[in-house]
Amino acid sequence: MKLDTTGMESAAPVWGSHNELVDEFSAAPSFELPNTTDFDGFQKEAIQMVKPAKGTTTLAFIFKEGVMVAADSRASMGGYISSQSVKKIIEINPYMLGTMAGGAADCQFWHRNLGTKCRLHELANKRRISVTGASKLLANILYSYRGMGLSVGTMIAGWDETGPGLYYVDNEGGRLKGMRFSVGSGSPYAYGVLDNGYRYDMSVEEAAELARRAIYHATFRDGASGGVASVYYVGPNGWKKLSGDDVGELHYRYYPVMPSTVEQEMVEVTGA
Amino acid sequence: MSIFEYNGSALVAMVGKNCFAIASDRRLGVQLQTIATDFQRISKIHDRLFLGLSGLATDAQTLYQRLVFRHKLYQLREERDMKPETFANLVSAILYEKRFGPYFCQPVIAGLGDEDKPFICTMDSIGAKELAKDFVVAGTASESLYGACESMFKENMEPEELFETVSQAFLASVDGDCLSGWGGHVYVVTPTEVKERILKGRMD
Repeated sequence: MKLDTTGMESAAPVWGSHNELVDEFSAAPSFELPNTTDFDGFQKEAIQMVKPAKGTTTLAFIFKEGVMVAADSRASMGGYISSQSVKKIIEINPYMLGTMAGGAADCQFWHRNLGTKCRLHELANKRRISVTGASKLLANILYSYRGMGLSVGTMIAGWDETGPGLYYVDNEGGRLKGMRFSVGSGSPYAYGVLDNGYRYDMSVEEAAELARRAIYHATFRDGASGGVASVYYVGPNGWKKLSGDDVGELHYRYYPVMPSTVEQEMVEVTGA
Repeated sequence: MSIFEYNGSALVAMVGKNCFAIASDRRLGVQLQTIATDFQRISKIHDRLFLGLSGLATDAQTLYQRLVFRHKLYQLREERDMKPETFANLVSAILYEKRFGPYFCQPVIAGLGDEDKPFICTMDSIGAKELAKDFVVAGTASESLYGACESMFKENMEPEELFETVSQAFLASVDGDCLSGWGGHVYVVTPTEVKERILKGRMD
């Protein structure tokens, strides 16, 4: 089984002559495969445990000034909240961001791997990699691991020579170019708010507020999303974190508790 | 997720000095989706007896209606309200009637018995009573609730302090559970009055 190991190869040169004894030491490092009869089946339980996950809300959209990327910060295991402070927006390099949905380990590892590959591209070609190229690299890697139980639902957002770029890449190997995406169990709720409020010509503040509201509404309705709504902006000079608001507080900011009207009030009765 | 976690719920009842507090969350959901944030899980049977039902919401509603019916019959026959201990026995019997096709609920019963002595108990879905002197919990957040109540409980708390303790333990626990929360409903019952309060919680 040929696994994609580019980006993990060591700098040591491989000698021309093939000597069985030497090959062991100079062969390129690769993943060890378990020695089982049912290679696909034995992981089924693990895959099933991960599959329904993607308990999260992430979104990204392109507008006039660049790309806005936002996500919640909750990690859940079934019904239990394991963390309220997970970083779901991964900084691949100073001008490209990736979002995390699905398996945390999978997303973190493969995004870092992508960052490595992007840097190698820069060094080899003396210019930055485009968002198109970076997303294609990731999509090809994920395609080669198709069916092996990786759970990755990510958006690659960045700014390159052609302007803002946004791609959706998932563990099935799918790759879509688009202007607006939302990924995760809270995505239907986020889409509702995002699609309603979206205009191409918005200012950075308006776009940030739209992204924040969309994440907030998703955390309100979806049980698997919550914590902190982080909003990042990707512009011509790279990405910048705009805000990280606790959604518990955002609720009372958007819907403050009004003192209710008094229907019946008890009054002191003077005299007898 | 199991059938008990389909709608999501959190309930706790705690004993104080001649008073008790019973609290529930306000979320009604369908697995991960939240449908309502003002769902009533605690119902009054009579002025000194409250019943909270966690678990599947449809079974909770039906069971509540059956129990109110039985209590009203009792009131007509005996011309008085049911004691909490008697009511607990009634609930247990009704649940065990359905031993091989149970109601997917876990009731929490809290009331003031003779001489204003507070009484709390919980049951599993087939009627096994668990009496406690300090607190009882039920619902999807029950494990966190056990921990929070165990650490925050003190004996003989006055109503105000009891309310604070129950609220803090409750909010801390439901914040660790995806399926319950979205506010809280607390009843503090003393021999003279019933105070109902709504807690402002995290809405995520």
